[in-house]
Amino acid sequence: MVWVVVVISSSKKIQFNRSNFSFLIMIIVMLLVAVTRIHASDLPFPKLTGRVVDNAYLLSDDVENKLTVLLKVHEDTTSNQVVVVTLNTLQGQTIEDFGYQLGRHWGIGQKKKNNGVLLIVAPRERKVRIEVGYGLEGTLTDAISKSIIDTVILPKFKSKNMSGGIVAGVNAMLPVLEGAEYRSTPKGFQFFTSINIGLIIHIILFLSVVILIAYFVLSEQLNSWEKFNRRDHIRDHRFNRRNDGYLNSGGHHGSSGRSGGFGGGGFSGGGGGFGGGGSSGGW
Amino acid sequence: MPGNITRKFISVLLLLFITTGLAGCGVNAIPSLDEETTAKWSQVINQYQRRADLIPNLVEVVKGYAKHERETLTAVVEARSKISQMTIPKDILTNKNAFQLFQQNQGQLTSALSKLMLVVERYPDLKASQNYSNLQSQLEGTENRIAVARRDYIEAIKEYNTEIRTFPGRIWAALLYEDAEVKQNFTVENSKAIETAPKINLSQ
Repeated sequence: MVWVVVVISSSKKIQFNRSNFSFLIMIIVMLLVAVTRIHASDLPFPKLTGRVVDNAYLLSDDVENKLTVLLKVHEDTTSNQVVVVTLNTLQGQTIEDFGYQLGRHWGIGQKKKNNGVLLIVAPRERKVRIEVGYGLEGTLTDAISKSIIDTVILPKFKSKNMSGGIVAGVNAMLPVLEGAEYRSTPKGFQFFTSINIGLIIHIILFLSVVILIAYFVLSEQLNSWEKFNRRDHIRDHRFNRRNDGYLNSGGHHGSSGRSGGFGGGGFSGGGGGFGGGGSSGGW
Repeated sequence: MPGNITRKFISVLLLLFITTGLAGCGVNAIPSLDEETTAKWSQVINQYQRRADLIPNLVEVVKGYAKHERETLTAVVEARSKISQMTIPKDILTNKNAFQLFQQNQGQLTSALSKLMLVVERYPDLKASQNYSNLQSQLEGTENRIAVARRDYIEAIKEYNTEIRTFPGRIWAALLYEDAEVKQNFTVENSKAIETAPKINLSQ
Protein backbone atom coordinates (compact mmCIF):
# COMPACT_ATOMS: atom_id res chain seq x y z
CA MET A 1 0.00 0.00 0.00
CA VAL A 2 2.93 2.28 0.61
CA TRP A 3 3.83 2.39 -3.06
CA VAL A 4 0.31 3.56 -3.85
CA VAL A 5 0.93 6.50 -1.58
CA VAL A 6 4.25 7.20 -3.26
CA VAL A 7 2.71 7.11 -6.70
CA ILE A 8 -0.09 9.41 -5.74
CA SER A 9 2.10 11.89 -4.00
CA SER A 10 4.52 12.06 -6.88
CA SER A 11 1.81 12.63 -9.38
CA LYS A 12 1.30 16.30 -9.87
CA LYS A 13 -1.38 15.79 -12.41
CA ILE A 14 -4.05 14.54 -10.04
CA GLN A 15 -6.25 17.36 -8.97
CA PHE A 16 -7.19 17.06 -5.35
CA ASN A 17 -10.45 18.83 -5.63
CA ARG A 18 -13.26 18.41 -3.23
CA SER A 19 -14.89 15.37 -4.78
CA ASN A 20 -11.62 13.48 -5.03
CA PHE A 21 -10.84 14.26 -1.47
CA SER A 22 -14.10 13.01 -0.11
CA PHE A 23 -13.82 9.95 -2.30
CA LEU A 24 -10.45 9.26 -0.75
CA ILE A 25 -11.84 9.67 2.73
CA MET A 26 -14.61 7.27 1.85
CA ILE A 27 -12.14 4.65 0.63
CA ILE A 28 -10.09 4.99 3.78
CA VAL A 29 -13.13 4.59 5.97
CA MET A 30 -14.21 1.52 4.02
CA LEU A 31 -10.78 0.01 4.40
CA LEU A 32 -10.82 0.66 8.10
CA VAL A 33 -14.22 -0.94 8.45
CA ALA A 34 -13.13 -3.92 6.39
CA VAL A 35 -10.19 -4.65 8.64
CA THR A 36 -11.86 -3.91 11.92
CA ARG A 37 -13.68 -6.73 13.57
CA ILE A 38 -16.51 -5.56 15.70
CA HIS A 39 -17.00 -7.50 18.86
CA ALA A 40 -20.67 -7.80 19.59
CA SER A 41 -21.22 -8.21 23.28
CA ASP A 42 -23.12 -11.39 23.88
CA LEU A 43 -25.25 -10.35 26.81
CA PRO A 44 -26.69 -7.07 27.89
CA PHE A 45 -25.27 -6.86 31.39
CA PRO A 46 -26.93 -4.84 34.13
CA LYS A 47 -25.28 -1.58 35.04
CA LEU A 48 -22.92 -1.43 37.96
CA THR A 49 -24.78 1.21 39.91
CA GLY A 50 -23.03 0.61 43.19
CA ARG A 51 -21.79 -2.12 45.49
CA VAL A 52 -25.33 -3.44 45.78
CA VAL A 53 -27.20 -3.81 42.50
CA ASP A 54 -30.71 -4.83 43.44
CA ASN A 55 -32.46 -5.36 40.13
CA ALA A 56 -34.82 -7.96 41.59
CA TYR A 57 -35.97 -5.58 44.33
CA LEU A 58 -35.23 -7.94 47.19
CA LEU A 59 -33.70 -5.39 49.54
CA SER A 60 -35.09 -2.33 51.24
CA ASP A 61 -33.23 0.96 50.87
CA ASP A 62 -32.14 0.65 54.46
CA VAL A 63 -30.58 -2.79 54.00
CA GLU A 64 -29.01 -1.72 50.74
CA ASN A 65 -27.38 1.28 52.39
CA LYS A 66 -26.13 -0.73 55.32
CA LEU A 67 -24.66 -3.39 53.04
CA THR A 68 -23.01 -0.73 50.90
CA VAL A 69 -21.29 0.76 53.93
CA LEU A 70 -20.13 -2.68 55.06
CA LEU A 71 -18.72 -3.51 51.65
CA LYS A 72 -17.02 -0.15 51.29
CA VAL A 73 -15.30 -0.55 54.64
CA HIS A 74 -14.19 -4.01 53.55
CA GLU A 75 -12.66 -2.63 50.38
CA ASP A 76 -10.97 0.19 52.27
CA THR A 77 -9.32 -2.25 54.64
CA THR A 78 -8.56 -5.19 52.34
CA SER A 79 -8.78 -3.77 48.79
CA ASN A 80 -11.14 -6.69 47.97
CA GLN A 81 -14.18 -5.64 46.00
CA VAL A 82 -17.32 -7.49 47.02
CA VAL A 83 -20.52 -6.78 45.14
CA VAL A 84 -24.04 -8.00 45.79
CA VAL A 85 -26.23 -8.30 42.71
CA THR A 86 -29.80 -9.51 42.40
CA LEU A 87 -31.02 -10.20 38.89
CA ASN A 88 -34.54 -10.33 37.58
CA THR A 89 -33.40 -12.68 34.84
CA LEU A 90 -30.42 -14.82 33.94
CA GLN A 91 -31.31 -14.36 30.27
CA GLY A 92 -31.34 -18.08 29.62
CA GLN A 93 -27.81 -18.65 30.88
CA THR A 94 -26.80 -20.81 33.79
CA ILE A 95 -25.78 -18.80 36.80
CA GLU A 96 -22.25 -20.19 36.44
CA ASP A 97 -21.98 -18.90 32.88
CA PHE A 98 -23.52 -15.57 33.71
CA GLY A 99 -21.53 -15.10 36.89
CA TYR A 100 -17.98 -15.01 35.65
CA GLN A 101 -18.94 -13.00 32.58
CA LEU A 102 -20.63 -10.42 34.77
CA GLY A 103 -17.61 -10.31 37.05
CA ARG A 104 -15.33 -9.75 34.08
CA HIS A 105 -17.64 -7.21 32.47
CA TRP A 106 -17.78 -5.13 35.62
CA GLY A 107 -14.13 -5.78 36.34
CA ILE A 108 -14.72 -6.38 40.03
CA GLY A 109 -11.54 -6.62 42.03
CA GLN A 110 -8.23 -4.78 41.66
CA LYS A 111 -6.54 -5.40 38.35
CA LYS A 112 -3.31 -6.85 39.62
CA LYS A 113 -4.82 -8.77 42.50
CA ASN A 114 -8.02 -10.07 40.88
CA ASN A 115 -9.63 -9.91 44.32
CA GLY A 116 -13.27 -9.59 43.45
CA VAL A 117 -16.29 -11.48 44.75
CA LEU A 118 -19.87 -11.38 43.57
CA LEU A 119 -22.87 -12.62 45.48
CA ILE A 120 -25.42 -13.24 42.75
CA VAL A 121 -29.08 -13.97 43.44
CA ALA A 122 -31.50 -14.86 40.67
CA PRO A 123 -34.88 -15.32 42.34
CA ARG A 124 -36.77 -16.08 39.17
CA GLU A 125 -34.54 -19.03 38.36
CA ARG A 126 -34.12 -19.70 42.09
CA LYS A 127 -30.35 -19.78 41.90
CA VAL A 128 -27.65 -18.20 43.99
CA ARG A 129 -23.93 -18.08 43.35
CA ILE A 130 -20.80 -16.84 45.03
CA GLU A 131 -18.44 -15.95 42.20
CA VAL A 132 -14.83 -15.66 43.29
CA GLY A 133 -12.06 -13.90 41.37
CA TYR A 134 -8.76 -15.57 40.57
CA GLY A 135 -6.93 -13.91 43.41
CA LEU A 136 -9.29 -14.99 46.17
CA GLU A 137 -9.85 -18.58 45.12
CA GLY A 138 -7.43 -19.80 47.75
CA THR A 139 -9.10 -17.81 50.53
CA LEU A 140 -12.78 -18.10 49.74
CA THR A 141 -12.53 -21.65 48.45
CA ASP A 142 -15.23 -23.49 46.56
CA ALA A 143 -15.90 -25.61 49.62
CA ILE A 144 -16.37 -22.60 51.89
CA SER A 145 -18.59 -20.88 49.35
CA LYS A 146 -20.67 -24.01 49.07
CA SER A 147 -20.96 -24.25 52.82
CA ILE A 148 -22.01 -20.63 53.15
CA ILE A 149 -24.64 -21.10 50.49
CA ASP A 150 -25.99 -24.34 51.94
CA THR A 151 -25.90 -23.55 55.64
CA VAL A 152 -26.33 -19.79 55.79
CA ILE A 153 -28.08 -18.48 52.71
CA LEU A 154 -30.41 -21.19 51.44
CA PRO A 155 -32.19 -21.88 54.73
CA LYS A 156 -33.28 -18.25 54.78
CA PHE A 157 -34.20 -18.23 51.12
CA LYS A 158 -36.27 -21.36 51.61
CA SER A 159 -38.29 -19.58 54.28
CA LYS A 160 -38.73 -16.67 51.87
CA ASN A 161 -36.42 -14.35 53.76
CA MET A 162 -34.45 -13.17 50.75
CA SER A 163 -33.11 -10.06 52.38
CA GLY A 164 -32.01 -11.98 55.47
CA GLY A 165 -30.31 -14.61 53.36
CA ILE A 166 -28.31 -12.03 51.45
CA VAL A 167 -27.28 -10.18 54.60
CA ALA A 168 -26.28 -13.41 56.32
CA GLY A 169 -24.31 -14.48 53.28
CA VAL A 170 -22.33 -11.25 53.23
CA ASN A 171 -21.75 -11.50 56.97
CA ALA A 172 -20.39 -15.00 56.49
CA MET A 173 -18.13 -14.15 53.55
CA LEU A 174 -16.46 -11.00 54.84
CA PRO A 175 -14.65 -12.50 57.84
CA VAL A 176 -13.30 -15.29 55.64
CA LEU A 177 -12.05 -12.72 53.15
CA GLU A 178 -10.43 -10.85 55.99
CA GLY A 179 -8.49 -13.93 56.91
CA ALA A 180 -10.62 -15.45 59.64
CA GLU A 181 -10.95 -19.20 59.79
CA TYR A 182 -14.25 -20.40 58.54
CA ARG A 183 -16.67 -21.94 60.99
CA SER A 184 -19.99 -23.10 59.70
CA THR A 185 -21.95 -21.08 62.22
CA PRO A 186 -20.85 -17.55 61.43
CA LYS A 187 -21.22 -14.67 63.82
CA GLY A 188 -23.29 -12.10 62.14
CA PHE A 189 -25.92 -11.60 64.71
CA GLN A 190 -25.27 -7.99 65.52
CA PHE A 191 -26.00 -6.71 62.09
CA PHE A 192 -28.94 -9.00 61.58
CA THR A 193 -30.52 -8.00 64.87
CA SER A 194 -30.62 -4.38 63.87
CA ILE A 195 -32.35 -5.39 60.67
CA ASN A 196 -34.85 -7.34 62.71
CA ILE A 197 -35.71 -4.33 64.82
CA GLY A 198 -36.09 -2.28 61.70
CA LEU A 199 -38.48 -4.87 60.36
CA ILE A 200 -40.55 -4.80 63.51
CA ILE A 201 -40.84 -1.04 63.39
CA HIS A 202 -41.89 -1.20 59.76
CA ILE A 203 -44.55 -3.76 60.59
CA ILE A 204 -45.92 -1.57 63.34
CA LEU A 205 -46.01 1.43 61.05
CA PHE A 206 -47.70 -0.57 58.34
CA LEU A 207 -50.37 -1.82 60.72
CA SER A 208 -50.99 1.68 62.00
CA VAL A 209 -51.44 2.97 58.49
CA VAL A 210 -53.89 0.20 57.73
CA ILE A 211 -55.83 0.97 60.88
CA LEU A 212 -55.89 4.68 60.07
CA ILE A 213 -57.14 4.03 56.57
CA ALA A 214 -59.79 1.67 57.88
CA TYR A 215 -60.85 4.32 60.36
CA PHE A 216 -61.16 7.04 57.76
CA VAL A 217 -63.01 4.87 55.33
CA LEU A 218 -65.42 3.69 57.95
CA SER A 219 -66.12 7.21 59.09
CA GLU A 220 -66.77 8.16 55.50
CA GLN A 221 -69.18 5.30 55.23
CA LEU A 222 -70.95 6.36 58.39
CA ASN A 223 -71.24 9.90 57.09
CA SER A 224 -72.69 8.82 53.82
CA TRP A 225 -75.14 6.54 55.56
CA GLU A 226 -76.22 9.35 57.81
CA LYS A 227 -76.68 11.76 54.97
CA PHE A 228 -78.46 9.06 53.09
CA ASN A 229 -76.35 9.79 50.01
CA ARG A 230 -75.37 7.39 47.33
CA ARG A 231 -72.69 4.90 48.48
CA ASP A 232 -69.28 6.08 47.49
CA HIS A 233 -68.28 3.05 45.48
CA ILE A 234 -65.22 4.79 44.18
CA ARG A 235 -63.82 5.13 47.69
CA ASP A 236 -64.52 1.47 48.38
CA HIS A 237 -62.60 0.38 45.35
CA ARG A 238 -59.75 2.67 46.11
CA PHE A 239 -59.52 1.24 49.58
CA ASN A 240 -59.49 -2.29 48.26
CA ARG A 241 -56.90 -1.64 45.64
CA ARG A 242 -54.56 0.14 47.98
CA ASN A 243 -54.96 -2.59 50.53
CA ASP A 244 -54.08 -5.24 47.96
CA GLY A 245 -51.05 -3.21 46.96
CA TYR A 246 -49.64 -3.31 50.47
CA LEU A 247 -50.43 -6.95 51.05
CA ASN A 248 -49.00 -8.25 47.82
CA SER A 249 -45.79 -6.34 47.73
CA GLY A 250 -44.60 -8.07 50.86
CA GLY A 251 -41.06 -6.98 51.57
CA HIS A 252 -41.07 -4.17 49.07
CA HIS A 253 -42.13 -1.10 50.93
CA GLY A 254 -45.03 0.99 49.74
CA SER A 255 -42.94 4.14 50.06
CA SER A 256 -42.03 5.73 46.81
CA GLY A 257 -39.05 5.11 44.56
CA ARG A 258 -35.54 4.13 45.43
CA SER A 259 -33.05 6.88 45.79
CA GLY A 260 -29.50 5.95 44.93
CA GLY A 261 -28.59 5.97 48.60
CA PHE A 262 -24.86 6.42 48.76
CA GLY A 263 -24.12 3.37 46.71
CA GLY A 264 -24.32 5.25 43.48
CA GLY A 265 -21.53 7.67 43.02
CA GLY A 266 -17.90 6.74 42.92
CA PHE A 267 -17.84 2.96 42.80
CA SER A 268 -16.39 1.20 39.82
CA GLY A 269 -14.66 -2.08 39.17
CA GLY A 270 -10.90 -2.15 39.53
CA GLY A 271 -10.37 -4.38 36.51
CA GLY A 272 -10.09 -7.71 38.27
CA GLY A 273 -10.47 -11.06 36.52
CA PHE A 274 -12.57 -14.17 37.09
CA GLY A 275 -11.95 -17.76 36.09
CA GLY A 276 -15.07 -19.57 37.22
CA GLY A 277 -14.21 -20.14 40.88
CA GLY A 278 -16.88 -20.25 43.54
CA SER A 279 -20.01 -22.22 44.13
CA SER A 280 -23.71 -22.22 43.37
CA GLY A 281 -26.91 -23.37 44.93
CA GLY A 282 -30.62 -23.47 44.22
CA TRP A 283 -33.86 -23.61 46.08
CA MET B 1 -3.39 26.44 -5.93
CA PRO B 2 -2.60 26.39 -2.23
CA GLY B 3 -5.91 24.70 -1.47
CA ASN B 4 -5.06 21.80 -3.68
CA ILE B 5 -1.58 21.33 -2.28
CA THR B 6 -2.90 21.44 1.26
CA ARG B 7 -5.47 18.80 0.45
CA LYS B 8 -2.88 16.66 -1.25
CA PHE B 9 -0.58 16.99 1.70
CA ILE B 10 -3.33 16.02 4.10
CA SER B 11 -4.36 13.07 1.96
CA VAL B 12 -0.83 11.79 1.77
CA LEU B 13 -0.43 12.15 5.50
CA LEU B 14 -3.72 10.38 6.06
CA LEU B 15 -2.83 7.52 3.78
CA LEU B 16 0.57 7.10 5.37
CA PHE B 17 -1.01 7.22 8.77
CA ILE B 18 -3.65 4.68 7.85
CA THR B 19 -1.28 2.30 6.15
CA THR B 20 1.27 2.40 8.91
CA GLY B 21 -1.56 2.11 11.39
CA LEU B 22 -2.82 -0.99 9.66
CA ALA B 23 0.66 -2.27 9.19
CA GLY B 24 1.38 -1.68 12.87
CA CYS B 25 -1.82 -3.53 13.64
CA GLY B 26 -0.89 -6.50 11.53
CA VAL B 27 2.74 -6.83 12.47
CA ASN B 28 2.07 -6.83 16.17
CA ALA B 29 -1.25 -8.56 16.16
CA ILE B 30 -0.05 -11.98 15.14
CA PRO B 31 2.61 -12.52 17.78
CA SER B 32 0.48 -11.05 20.55
CA LEU B 33 -2.55 -13.12 19.61
CA ASP B 34 -0.25 -16.10 19.48
CA GLU B 35 0.92 -15.37 23.00
CA GLU B 36 -2.67 -15.05 24.06
CA THR B 37 -3.56 -18.48 22.71
CA THR B 38 -0.57 -19.99 24.48
CA ALA B 39 -1.55 -18.34 27.75
CA LYS B 40 -5.16 -19.48 27.47
CA TRP B 41 -4.09 -22.97 26.58
CA SER B 42 -1.88 -23.09 29.67
CA GLN B 43 -4.91 -22.21 31.72
CA VAL B 44 -6.87 -25.06 30.13
CA ILE B 45 -4.08 -27.48 30.97
CA ASN B 46 -3.89 -26.13 34.53
CA GLN B 47 -7.55 -26.68 35.19
CA TYR B 48 -7.54 -30.17 33.71
CA GLN B 49 -4.54 -30.92 35.90
CA ARG B 50 -6.38 -29.59 38.91
CA ARG B 51 -9.18 -32.01 38.16
CA ALA B 52 -6.79 -34.90 37.80
CA ASP B 53 -5.26 -34.00 41.16
CA LEU B 54 -8.60 -34.29 42.90
CA ILE B 55 -9.19 -37.83 41.67
CA PRO B 56 -7.05 -39.85 44.12
CA ASN B 57 -8.73 -38.28 47.16
CA LEU B 58 -12.13 -38.69 45.59
CA VAL B 59 -11.56 -42.36 44.90
CA GLU B 60 -10.34 -42.97 48.45
CA VAL B 61 -13.36 -41.29 50.00
CA VAL B 62 -15.84 -43.13 47.81
CA LYS B 63 -14.06 -46.44 48.45
CA GLY B 64 -14.59 -45.87 52.15
CA TYR B 65 -18.34 -46.09 51.69
CA ALA B 66 -18.87 -47.92 48.43
CA LYS B 67 -15.99 -50.28 47.94
CA HIS B 68 -18.09 -52.78 46.04
CA GLU B 69 -18.50 -50.37 43.18
CA ARG B 70 -15.22 -51.61 41.78
CA GLU B 71 -16.03 -51.20 38.13
CA THR B 72 -16.97 -47.57 38.38
CA LEU B 73 -14.02 -46.70 40.57
CA THR B 74 -11.61 -48.57 38.35
CA ALA B 75 -12.88 -46.73 35.30
CA VAL B 76 -12.10 -43.41 36.97
CA VAL B 77 -8.66 -44.52 38.11
CA GLU B 78 -7.78 -45.87 34.68
CA ALA B 79 -9.01 -42.78 32.85
CA ARG B 80 -6.90 -40.68 35.13
CA SER B 81 -3.72 -42.69 34.68
CA LYS B 82 -4.19 -42.58 30.93
CA ILE B 83 -4.15 -38.81 31.18
CA SER B 84 -1.08 -38.65 33.37
CA GLN B 85 0.78 -41.01 31.06
CA MET B 86 -0.12 -38.94 28.03
CA THR B 87 2.69 -36.74 26.78
CA ILE B 88 1.60 -33.41 25.43
CA PRO B 89 3.74 -32.55 22.41
CA LYS B 90 4.94 -29.00 21.95
CA ASP B 91 2.99 -28.57 18.76
CA ILE B 92 -0.26 -29.81 20.21
CA LEU B 93 -2.14 -26.67 19.20
CA THR B 94 -1.43 -27.24 15.54
CA ASN B 95 -1.26 -31.00 15.64
CA LYS B 96 -4.74 -32.27 14.98
CA ASN B 97 -4.15 -35.84 16.11
CA ALA B 98 -2.43 -34.90 19.34
CA PHE B 99 -5.11 -32.33 20.14
CA GLN B 100 -7.94 -34.76 19.52
CA LEU B 101 -6.24 -37.45 21.56
CA PHE B 102 -5.96 -34.99 24.42
CA GLN B 103 -9.66 -34.17 24.17
CA GLN B 104 -10.60 -37.80 23.99
CA ASN B 105 -8.66 -38.75 27.09
CA GLN B 106 -10.10 -35.89 29.08
CA GLY B 107 -13.55 -36.77 27.80
CA GLN B 108 -13.13 -40.31 29.05
CA LEU B 109 -12.35 -39.07 32.52
CA THR B 110 -15.40 -36.84 32.34
CA SER B 111 -17.74 -39.71 31.56
CA ALA B 112 -16.11 -41.96 34.14
CA LEU B 113 -16.71 -39.24 36.71
CA SER B 114 -20.33 -38.81 35.63
CA LYS B 115 -20.94 -42.49 36.21
CA LEU B 116 -19.28 -42.26 39.58
CA MET B 117 -21.55 -39.39 40.54
CA LEU B 118 -24.58 -41.47 39.64
CA VAL B 119 -23.31 -44.30 41.83
CA VAL B 120 -22.73 -41.95 44.75
CA GLU B 121 -26.41 -41.03 44.68
CA ARG B 122 -27.16 -44.47 46.05
CA TYR B 123 -25.05 -43.98 49.17
CA PRO B 124 -26.65 -41.28 51.32
CA ASP B 125 -24.02 -41.68 54.05
CA LEU B 126 -21.32 -40.96 51.55
CA LYS B 127 -23.17 -37.98 50.16
CA ALA B 128 -23.65 -36.55 53.61
CA SER B 129 -20.06 -36.95 54.71
CA GLN B 130 -18.03 -33.78 55.10
CA ASN B 131 -15.07 -35.19 53.18
CA TYR B 132 -17.15 -36.05 50.19
CA SER B 133 -19.05 -32.79 50.33
CA ASN B 134 -15.81 -30.80 50.21
CA LEU B 135 -14.42 -32.84 47.35
CA GLN B 136 -17.68 -32.59 45.48
CA SER B 137 -17.71 -28.81 45.64
CA GLN B 138 -14.06 -28.72 44.56
CA LEU B 139 -14.86 -31.00 41.68
CA GLU B 140 -17.81 -28.89 40.58
CA GLY B 141 -15.72 -25.78 40.88
CA THR B 142 -12.97 -27.36 38.80
CA GLU B 143 -15.36 -28.48 36.09
CA ASN B 144 -16.65 -24.93 35.96
CA ARG B 145 -13.11 -23.56 35.71
CA ILE B 146 -12.38 -26.02 32.91
CA ALA B 147 -15.45 -24.78 31.06
CA VAL B 148 -14.38 -21.16 31.49
CA ALA B 149 -10.79 -21.90 30.47
CA ARG B 150 -11.97 -23.71 27.36
CA ARG B 151 -14.20 -20.85 26.39
CA ASP B 152 -11.38 -18.38 26.87
CA TYR B 153 -9.13 -20.56 24.75
CA ILE B 154 -11.75 -20.84 22.02
CA GLU B 155 -12.07 -17.04 21.98
CA ALA B 156 -8.32 -16.63 21.77
CA ILE B 157 -7.80 -19.01 18.89
CA LYS B 158 -10.78 -17.57 17.10
CA GLU B 159 -9.05 -14.20 17.12
CA TYR B 160 -5.72 -15.69 16.14
CA ASN B 161 -7.07 -17.90 13.38
CA THR B 162 -9.14 -15.06 11.99
CA GLU B 163 -6.17 -12.71 12.03
CA ILE B 164 -3.92 -15.00 10.05
CA ARG B 165 -6.63 -15.87 7.58
CA THR B 166 -8.07 -12.46 6.81
CA PHE B 167 -6.72 -9.29 5.29
CA PRO B 168 -4.33 -7.73 6.18
CA GLY B 169 -3.13 -10.29 8.67
CA ARG B 170 -2.55 -12.98 6.11
CA ILE B 171 -0.16 -10.76 4.25
CA TRP B 172 1.93 -10.23 7.33
CA ALA B 173 1.75 -13.92 8.12
CA ALA B 174 3.01 -14.75 4.64
CA LEU B 175 5.78 -12.19 4.83
CA LEU B 176 7.02 -12.49 8.38
CA TYR B 177 5.40 -15.37 10.18
CA GLU B 178 5.60 -18.30 7.89
CA ASP B 179 5.11 -20.76 10.71
CA ALA B 180 1.86 -19.18 11.81
CA GLU B 181 -0.70 -21.94 11.49
CA VAL B 182 -4.36 -22.19 12.20
CA LYS B 183 -4.76 -23.64 15.70
CA GLN B 184 -6.93 -26.49 16.83
CA ASN B 185 -10.30 -25.97 18.39
CA PHE B 186 -12.33 -28.19 20.64
CA THR B 187 -14.76 -30.25 18.62
CA VAL B 188 -18.47 -30.22 19.28
CA GLU B 189 -18.80 -33.79 20.46
CA ASN B 190 -16.29 -33.19 23.17
CA SER B 191 -18.05 -30.02 24.15
CA LYS B 192 -21.06 -32.19 24.82
CA ALA B 193 -18.98 -34.47 26.99
CA ILE B 194 -17.93 -31.49 29.07
CA GLU B 195 -21.47 -30.23 29.29
CA THR B 196 -22.60 -33.48 30.86
CA ALA B 197 -19.87 -33.21 33.47
CA PRO B 198 -20.84 -34.10 37.02
CA LYS B 199 -23.13 -31.38 38.29
CA ILE B 200 -25.20 -32.24 41.29
CA ASN B 201 -28.73 -30.96 41.08
CA LEU B 202 -29.40 -29.09 44.31
CA SER B 203 -32.93 -27.93 43.69
CA GLN B 204 -34.76 -30.78 45.32
